[in-house]
Amino acid sequence: MHGIDWVDVGLSGLKIAVVLGAMLNVTPIMVWVERRGSALIQDRPGPNRVGPFGLFQSFADALKFILKEDMLPAKANKVLYTIAPMFGLIPALTTIAVVPWGRPFLLPGGRLFEPIIANVNIGILLIFALASMGVYGIVMAGWASANKYSLFGGIRASAQMISYELSLTLAAVSALMVAGSLSLPDVVWRQTGSFVLFNVVKLPAWNIFSPAMWIAFVVFFVSAFAETNRLPFDFAEAEAELVAGYHTEYSSMKFALFFMSEYMAMATMSALITTLFLGGWDIPWYNEPPNALGFALSVLSFVVKVSALLFIFVWVRWTIPRLKYDLLMKLGWKVFLPAAVINIVIVALFIAKRWI
Amino acid sequence: MISFAIFFFFAAIAVIFAAMVVLHRNPVVGALSLVASFFALAVMYVLLEAPFLAALQVIVYAGAIMVLFLFVIMLLNLQHQEEPRTRPVQQFLGYTTSAAFGLALIYYLAKYGVTKLPDGAFVSDARTIGIKMFEGYIFPFEMVSILLLAAIVGALLLSGRTGVAKEEERS
Repeated sequence: MHGIDWVDVGLSGLKIAVVLGAMLNVTPIMVWVERRGSALIQDRPGPNRVGPFGLFQSFADALKFILKEDMLPAKANKVLYTIAPMFGLIPALTTIAVVPWGRPFLLPGGRLFEPIIANVNIGILLIFALASMGVYGIVMAGWASANKYSLFGGIRASAQMISYELSLTLAAVSALMVAGSLSLPDVVWRQTGSFVLFNVVKLPAWNIFSPAMWIAFVVFFVSAFAETNRLPFDFAEAEAELVAGYHTEYSSMKFALFFMSEYMAMATMSALITTLFLGGWDIPWYNEPPNALGFALSVLSFVVKVSALLFIFVWVRWTIPRLKYDLLMKLGWKVFLPAAVINIVIVALFIAKRWI
Repeated sequence: MISFAIFFFFAAIAVIFAAMVVLHRNPVVGALSLVASFFALAVMYVLLEAPFLAALQVIVYAGAIMVLFLFVIMLLNLQHQEEPRTRPVQQFLGYTTSAAFGLALIYYLAKYGVTKLPDGAFVSDARTIGIKMFEGYIFPFEMVSILLLAAIVGALLLSGRTGVAKEEERS
């Protein structure tokens, strides 16, 4: 057994701390963005009393969650009721580990610093594997609450997530075929540089700009909303029909955990869309130097793209009303699944003809 | 040494939860225990340096199939949360069959010495598996897909969504 590389361990610890810190801060920031954004869209002021622009409202909310009484329904299955929120949170927190968030560069001393927690060669499969565990949090919560509305929320969530996971995975296959790898850093490297579309415009070589990817992008983007249980696909909650769906019985920090996992899953999905279709950390029309400056700029580029996508998540929620449940299933199985499969054939044609 | 400890930890989890599947009277708890057991099994694949198989194990078994199991259990089992007690003859048959199966498993594992890994580097990335599957095993692979197609058509037929039923539904 060889010795432990302590510098490597230290760098990994640092990376985990940075990413974990960022992910944990996504929730309070996004709650503020969501509330102010919805207020903006609905032409009302929104929370504006606590701190400048109501920025500290999220901290007040967090304090409220901690101080509230933790209720346990009399007929609930105590063990499952308690671990369900944790089950929801773990996949949301861990999937981000295989997403690259900046350009690798050489540290002084000749060590290559890769801004990714776990550079495994099956990166995307790991994400789908862990993301598919996320549904158990909702299903367990719905069942363990011993409440019929919660149960319906759980049943709906399991049907919906199974349906949309298929189109999500198949849409991602298109991007992976172009890169020829399951590893997300490879997918990003494939999208650096630029290409000329129809001999007219010079575009960054991002997957979204390639005509072969347009269907896959739309399918992936919409399925991402269904996977994160966001409006217009929030059937597990559906407050107009199911009170509050799977978390009807939850209060205090257990409820807050569901809240956090929703926003973290949104952030992970945005990071995944960025990586697969929007060039990851690549800056358009600019060749990042392989040093600390290039690293810093690429991280900034990644954060900007993810933030823009997160804002679109909020924007869509307050613009598009909820679908009917049968429409959701029809859309998933009869439109998105065939579309994703057709797109795989299109991408295969593009690769065979060397157009891509 | 560390991998040894990890192996025993997750082996214990896999066995305990597998026992829970059989012993717990509540079907939902049983299904969730099976998920935990599958997940612990995926860790075994990682320890055998086959992360690709581990990911597939989680995606297909723990992620997809068990969600459908849970869905069906929750949908059909809304009223009574506990299964009725089994009859003595069922218990007898269950115990003897599983004991016989366990003995046969131990006997053949010992006889053919499959308790140790084959020699040489173990490559199990997506490329190797894909090439193997579409060159060496293309016939069984296609046979399985035809079998699954037949199962899907059969399920559609049984659920009554055939021509006649559809016409009735429309009117």
